[in-house]
Amino acid sequence: MKISDFIHGLAEELEIESRLTANTNIKDLDEWDSLQAMVLISYVSEYFGVSLTGSDIHEITTIESLITKIGPERFEQE
Amino acid sequence: MEAELVAIEYFLPEKCLTNEELSLEFPDYDFHNFEKKVGIKKRYIVDGETALDLAIKACDKLFKRIDKSSIDYILYCTQSPEYILPTTACILQNKLGLNKNIGAIDFNLGCSGYTYGLSLSKSLIASNQAKNVLLITAETYSRFLHPKDRSNRAIFGDGATASLISCSKSRKIGDFLFGTDGSGHDNLIIKNGASKYQFDSDAKEFIYGTDNVYTDNTLYMNGPEIFNFTGEVIPNFTRQILIKNQVEINQIDQFIFHQANAFMLEFLRKKLKVSRDNFFIDLEDGGNTVSCTIPIALKNYSNSHDFQKTEEIIVVGFGVGLSWCGGSIFLNKGL
Repeated sequence: MKISDFIHGLAEELEIESRLTANTNIKDLDEWDSLQAMVLISYVSEYFGVSLTGSDIHEITTIESLITKIGPERFEQE
Repeated sequence: MEAELVAIEYFLPEKCLTNEELSLEFPDYDFHNFEKKVGIKKRYIVDGETALDLAIKACDKLFKRIDKSSIDYILYCTQSPEYILPTTACILQNKLGLNKNIGAIDFNLGCSGYTYGLSLSKSLIASNQAKNVLLITAETYSRFLHPKDRSNRAIFGDGATASLISCSKSRKIGDFLFGTDGSGHDNLIIKNGASKYQFDSDAKEFIYGTDNVYTDNTLYMNGPEIFNFTGEVIPNFTRQILIKNQVEINQIDQFIFHQANAFMLEFLRKKLKVSRDNFFIDLEDGGNTVSCTIPIALKNYSNSHDFQKTEEIIVVGFGVGLSWCGGSIFLNKGL
């Protein structure tokens, strides 16, 4: 999966109305809450087989930091 | 001797807490999205009653259909006991007017409790130690929740169930498997009030998740960790149950898992590749009632359903401990 597709898919899963970029802080989104954390864990698990832990969720800020947690090597070149 | 699940009755408290009522208390939170994702519209909570009070009402309903003098063993599953001691099952024996020459024990499990209870009932019957086991689940988590813990107040509901498991000529309860991982014990915990830490009237308030509040006197749940544990452990565990019972996934008529939350159940269903028709999800009216969700689901499924044949149903409970347990049961009529 390309990073741009990942961000696009994430916005759909989380039903985010504003435009997401790598610099968007997930926690600043109006839509962010603990339910969204569950949706995020499920999305990342489904596409990457990676389980984000409770502390991962706590530490994540921007989409970029999320990509770092998942592992940038898991993404395809744009 | 084989065992059979014969009947289930359940009782929910009268006091209902709807999402509309919760949204008046938490006006900044989107309960419409909560309802869509978690699948809960209302839950019932005690108003002064205890889990034992609910259990008695569930048993009284059951005794309208079955002869209570036949009960020779009580298995009482709760994390809301009347006292630290004595055993609540002993009080229940007296309150229900059951025989005195019977066994009665409490066991402390949450969401894995009912499936454990089925397995224990089967074992008591198979080893000829009992013929009619009264299995009760009774829980009042609402009494352990911080008033400002929006997430858990929205998820958990109170309730009690009473099941009769009796000896049978044919095999109606299959094989069960178990799992335990105490390293996750602090992901779902009430710290104070038992032996290690006393109840602390000055307990500090902590914020977790999105503006939820808890103290060490109240229930704390690390939602992401519990979600991860479930997603990682339960699909493969379910496959192991199928192997143990020598059955293929497409031969199972219904999967009835602990009704934790609809999103999590849907996540598990997709991982297992089971069709929606064969996977029970219904938390709308009552929410997550801990050890009561599986018997409530079994009752609602079997009584709203025309059995064309004997159906094989996989039941799996998972949660606090961390603890999980599941197995196979056979039903050919409503409970």
